[in-house]
Order: sequence, then C-alpha cells, then structure tokens
Amino acid sequence: MATVAEQWVLVEMVQALYEAPAYHLILEGILILWIIRLLFSKTYKLQERSDLTVKEKEELIEEWQPEPLVPPVSKDHPALNYNIVSGPPSHNIVVNGKECINFASFNFLGLLDNPRLKAAALASLKKYGVGTCGPRGFYGTFDVHLDLEDRLAKFMKTEEAIIYSYGFATIASAIPAYSKRGDIVFVDKAACFAIQKGLQASRSDIKLFNHNDMDDLQRLLKEQEIEDQKNPRKARVTRRFIVVEGLYMNTGTICPLPELVKLKYRYKARIFLEESLSFGVLGEHGRGVTEHFGIDVRKKEEECAGFLVGSVEHLEKHQM
Amino acid sequence: MVDPGGGAVCNGTLHNQSDHCHRKNCTRNGMVKEAQQNGNSNFYKPVVESFEEAPLHVMVFTYLGYGIGTLFGYLRDFLRNWGIEKCNAAIEREEQKDFVPLYQSFENFYTRNLYMRIRDNWNRPICSAPGALFDVMERVSDDYNWTFRFTGRIIKDVINMGSYNFLGLAAKYDESMKTVKDALETYGLGVGSTRHEMGTLDKHKELEDLVAKFLNVEAAMVFGMGFATNSMNIPALVGKGCLILSDELNHASLVLGARLSGATIRIFKHNNMQSLEKLLRDAVIYGQPRTRRAWKKILILVEGIYSMEGSIVRLPQIVALKKKYKAYLYVDEAHSIGSLGPTGRGVMEFFAMDPRDIDVFMGTFTKSFGASGGYIAGRKDLVDYLRAHSHSAAYATSMSPPIAEQIIRAMKLIMGLDGTTQGLQRVQQLAENTRYFRQRLSEMGFIIYGNEESPVVPLLLYMPAKVAAFARHLLKRKIGVVVVGFPATPLAEARARFCVSAAHTREMLDAVLEALDEMGDLLHVKYSRNRKSARPELYDETSFELED
Repeated sequence: MATVAEQWVLVEMVQALYEAPAYHLILEGILILWIIRLLFSKTYKLQERSDLTVKEKEELIEEWQPEPLVPPVSKDHPALNYNIVSGPPSHNIVVNGKECINFASFNFLGLLDNPRLKAAALASLKKYGVGTCGPRGFYGTFDVHLDLEDRLAKFMKTEEAIIYSYGFATIASAIPAYSKRGDIVFVDKAACFAIQKGLQASRSDIKLFNHNDMDDLQRLLKEQEIEDQKNPRKARVTRRFIVVEGLYMNTGTICPLPELVKLKYRYKARIFLEESLSFGVLGEHGRGVTEHFGIDVRKKEEECAGFLVGSVEHLEKHQM
Repeated sequence: MVDPGGGAVCNGTLHNQSDHCHRKNCTRNGMVKEAQQNGNSNFYKPVVESFEEAPLHVMVFTYLGYGIGTLFGYLRDFLRNWGIEKCNAAIEREEQKDFVPLYQSFENFYTRNLYMRIRDNWNRPICSAPGALFDVMERVSDDYNWTFRFTGRIIKDVINMGSYNFLGLAAKYDESMKTVKDALETYGLGVGSTRHEMGTLDKHKELEDLVAKFLNVEAAMVFGMGFATNSMNIPALVGKGCLILSDELNHASLVLGARLSGATIRIFKHNNMQSLEKLLRDAVIYGQPRTRRAWKKILILVEGIYSMEGSIVRLPQIVALKKKYKAYLYVDEAHSIGSLGPTGRGVMEFFAMDPRDIDVFMGTFTKSFGASGGYIAGRKDLVDYLRAHSHSAAYATSMSPPIAEQIIRAMKLIMGLDGTTQGLQRVQQLAENTRYFRQRLSEMGFIIYGNEESPVVPLLLYMPAKVAAFARHLLKRKIGVVVVGFPATPLAEARARFCVSAAHTREMLDAVLEALDEMGDLLHVKYSRNRKSARPELYDETSFELED
C-alpha cells in the first residue's frame, strides 16, 4: 500500500475489476443503467389523454342528429303543379284540358307525329319488341343500330358515327372520354347544363370565354400559348379542346364557326361542336351549322345530341 | 320446436313446409304461400354466398398469360413504330399532324394488343328481339379483328344467356302489346321537352302511380334513362359537407353520381358489415376531416344485386346499422327489381322488410321490364323534392310514351292486375330456373360466385385465352354467352356471366348445361374444390366399415 496518493494505473484498475466479487459488479452495472435511463426519460405530461373512452363515443353517436334527407319544398313550387299534357305534343297540344298552339316543345321539323315515322317505328316494334335488354357490348347491338350509324356518317359526310340512347348523356360522357385530368378545355359561358356536367366529370382545367366573343377566346388561347412556351415538355402532352354549341340552348344564337376553325389551326386545339338544336335545322340539307357556313366537316370532331360523328381514329377508342 | 327456416321438428323428423308447395302454384288470396309465412323469409336464413378462390397454379398461369401478351405487345408496337408491320389503327389526318395526339399510346396499350385479339366476342350484332332465342349476325374478320365484315348469313335460334331478360318480357310483338301500339299511334314517338316544361304526359302520371303501388311506397318519379337517373339525382340529394359510403363494387353510374355531387366518398369492402360499421362510427364520432365539424348527412349507396358478382346486399344488417347511426340508405335495384322476391318486388320483399326502412328506392326498367328508363321512389316529400330539384327533370327530356306504356303493361302483368297469374308464374319460373341452373353448375365443379338465389351467375374462367375460346365455341354450338374481362373485373378474374331468364325452358337450360359440361372438360375450367366425389356408388353408404 502506497502512502502517497494512489496512482491511477490502468492495468491495476483492470486487475481490480477482475478480482471484484460478482454481486458488486452487478449492482454497479444496474446503477449505471438506471442513471442513463433517468437522464433520457421524458418529463411528466400534465394534459389528459386525447383518446375518447367507449362511453364518450356512444354518447356522441346518440347525440348526433343529421339533417333531414330532403329539405321541405313549398306546396306552391311550380314543379309540383306542372302542366299535364294529354295527347301527342304536336303543333296543337292539349295542356291541362285546354287546346293550345305549341310553342314549347322541341319539334322543329314536325316529325314527332309524322305517319311515315310512326309506321317505321311500328314495324320495328313488331320485329324487335320494345327494349334492348343489354348494353352495346353484350348483345345490345342490333342491325338497325349499325344501319343508323352508317347512314348518319354518310349524311354528315364523315367516316363513322356512334349513337347513344339518351341525349343528355351523349355530351356528358363524350367530353370525359377524350379530355382527362390535366387537359385544357375552352368553353363558352352560355354552354348548356349537359356540357357543364361533362366538364365536371372530366376533371380538366376549364377556361370560360364570353359568349360568342372570339376576341376573348383568342386572348385566352394566347395566354395559354405563353404558358406553353415556359414549359414545352408539359405542353406536348396537354390536349386542348374548344367546346361550343351550334345553336345555343340558353341564348338562341349561332356560334361563329369560320373564326373558330381559324383559331383552331392557329393554336392547335380540337373543336367539339354540340349540335342538338342545330342538327336538322341549319344548313341547306339540315346538316347543321357546318353546312350553314360551308365548312368541310372533316375539319373538326362533332358531337350531336344522341350521336357522335368524326373520324375513325376518334371513335375507335370511344366504342370500347 | 320450430327452427327459423320454416320447418317444424316432430319426433325427430323435420317437416319442411316449403316442400309441399314447391312446384305447384300454391296461392291463397292471390299471394304466394311462401310470402305469408313469417319464419320462412330470407330475413332469418343464413346467407349462402360463395367466392371461392382458385387454386394457385391457375393464378400463376393467368398472370403468366398476361405477361406473355404484354411482351408480345411491346414487340408488335416496336415493329409498328419502325414501319416493319403495317399499322391498322387509325391515324391522325394530315392537317392535324402536329396537334397533340388525342390518345397517349400507352393508354391504348391494353386495347391495341390484348383486347383486339379477342374483340369478336363483344358487340355482336343481333337481328331479332332479345328473347330466350335470338338471331345473331355472322361476322368474320380478315385482319385479326381490326375490321369486321358481315358474311350475310344469320345464325338463327341461338339460346340467349347474355341479355338481361329476367322475366322474359322482351319478345316479339304479340297481341298483348296492343296497348303499346295504340300509345305509339296516339302519342307519337317522343316528347320534345323536359319534365318542367311541356314534357309531362298523363301517361307519366299513370306510370308513377303504378310504380308507387308496385313498390308499396308513397310516391315515385320516372326518368328517361337508367344510368342518368343515378348520375343526376345523387347530386340533388347530397352536396358538399355530406358523406357518401359506397360499396367497393358499385356500378359506374353510382360512382359518377357520387363524384358529381361534391360530397366526400368513402368506400367499404364489398358486403362487409364490419367495414361499414367502422366507417360509420368513425364518421359520426370524428366528423369531417380536419375541421371536425359534424357531417350534414350520411348516405349509404348499395345495389340490390351486383351485376358482376351475383351477390345480394345484406339488407337486414344494413338497415340495422342505418337505424343505429341515423344514416340514409339508397338502394339501386337495377337487377333485382322484378327478379327477386316471391312476387317480384325486389330485394325489399326478398328479405321481407318494411318499405319505410329504405329511404331511396332506385331502379331501372331496362332489365326485367323490357323497356328503358329509371325510377326513384320513396316518401312523398323525397319525391316532391326531386320533382323540383332534380337535374334530369329540369334539363333532360322525359320518357317517351310507348315505352311508358310498355312498362305499365309489364308492371300490371307482374302485379296480376290484368287478370291472369302469368306474372306470378314468371317470377316463380325464374326462381326455379335460377336454383336449378346454379345447383347443376356447382355440381359439375365450376367456380360460381354469388348468392344462390340470384339470377346473375358468374362462372370464373381466369385466363384470357380461355375466355375467348369459351365464347367462340359456345357460339358455334348456338349458345350466346357474355364474357367479361379487365377492366370491368379485376385483372386475374375474367368470367362468363349468365343471366337466367323465366323464358328459358328446362330443355334450353339442359342443352346449355350439357354444352358447358363439355366445354369445361375441353378447356379444363372446372376448378372448384367442392366437386362431388368421383365414386357415385358410395353416396348411399352409411358406414365405411369393412364387411367381414
């Protein structure tokens, strides 16, 4: 044993470690680990736990009251006391028992009670019955459908046509079929409800221009062009569409098609022309607004209420 | 001791009341006896639905098949791009060459390379009424299905297992359709106007009253197209701030309606009540995401029969959940109206439930009634609200008069209001046909999905090549079937879907079953593990002890 301060020699310390009794070492080890744990443990949380107990959940479920499924409608709402028509909606119409001249139905060519049409419908009723009992893909395609599509394509001087069973649904499903998320659609502000629903379903970027205002449309297209130059890679995959109606249902005006076609080629957008009202009405033979202006139909895709005409490429995808 | 299946046990033997009236028309006061028994309804019966999984080697080969198809697709695209192979797909016109292409070439990959090979099984044109037997126009392709041409021949009297003709009402003209002919002559072809304007005929009013009576509800409203009924009325019922809980396998019209409404959509697993309950609890307790405000309304969207699976919704459990959590229930009975239930009233009658429990009944007239159009029915305030605010009533043309007349005629037939029991017989015939068909198919060893009472029978084929071979061979044997693949079904579960009809006679079904048996052996599609034993002489053995 040294009388002066003991020197801390490593070798001796290690020797001491080996010679120490086991319980001593274990106790020391536990104490060291406890100190480390205390140093690193978090402080006490004073706020309550944020999970709800089961009882609270049940109370919440009991208390919640939803709104009624439909809000009450007043008894004098015009839609509830609508006019009941008895008899065919031809030029003289019987409304609520009174006979009136019909300025309200869409019967431009007066074909709704044409005897030739009725005879043809009767013949088809006799042969095919009333319903098709299936979609087009599953034995719902009749030879008359194919015939009608051929005739429509020939009449409109395009390559192919597809027919739909409901006018509203035509444009509302055609737009989302071609225009997807990320594509840009320029739409007239006075577009009809079916077009609006189609655009909503397609999730594309919508840019509205003032009704029949070609300068406004050109301004929007120019802005888009400037955007494109900033990001050419994205521009190469974004499709551009212009959706207009031949004869607008909301305002009754005709769209300026020649200027639109010029804009189309300049800014490389595709035109969707919705002709539910102008088909059969405008143009020398009733081919619609394209014949009215003397434009070659092949220069754009065309949509009408109930059928789609266009080039083969576009319709192939649609059929699937 | 009475067990809820409707039978009574006496001295150890089970007397089942349904056995007596199984085949005969056992009616009392016009209602089928089965519907009168409280305990015999499907409310208490355990649901028997099977979704058997295929053996592992089948799935492996299916994916392998798609993989090889994809590789070849890449090879052919490469060849087409470099001009080595002629490109049959349509190309853009000259003036529009530098426009952004309308389709990305990748989007069409599946269509161009896989679907095109077997495209002749879809869109087959027919030239007669889609009844139990119909005529298919023959068409051939010279360039591997890129274009078709008609040979001019017609394959006559093909057995129709594909059209939705559950009650056999889609048929050629016969004398009972005289009222439709009269309506056509009196009213003309169409109504050129919307419901809010001049488009409401007295025929529509008559039809709506009849539909309300048929379903035993307060009021109903009809629309011109079934798909559009869903997509235009769901936005009128719910909006932003509401929650929609929709089943995984809902039809595209329900999905589109839900998306257009702007409400939050959450999806629960198909027919899985635990998943639905969990979503309901979370919705009521935690409210809207982030703001934690309470939801305005919760709407549950389900279908009566799911068309691709053939399963029936678990209505009693859903109604119990809906009552507990105060949600609203919207049932789309496109396939189940007219085909389920002892008198054809749909899924509500199938489970013998109170019509006041379901908030919104929706259905279409295309399938069982042989016409077109849809309806929504329920309480009077609901229907009044829809008359005023539905998008369809304001913007879309109403149903055309001859079709309305056809539906009136069909409904009167089913309800028995025309003085005969023909309608009821059709419903019972459909139920019999369904049970027989499903039983025989599962005995043969095919994998069949769905509830044992649903007239939609999907038969699983899995591999894309077998799908094509199946449809083509059966057409050669004069049976028309519908096969479905991706994207309507999951990628590996391509199937053939049969729609049993009341117009099918026992002979027709036997002919079809025989052909299917042979097809099954030829193509090796009998994958089920529940096949009957190969030793039929052992069925009646009571003990397997060796005789000494």
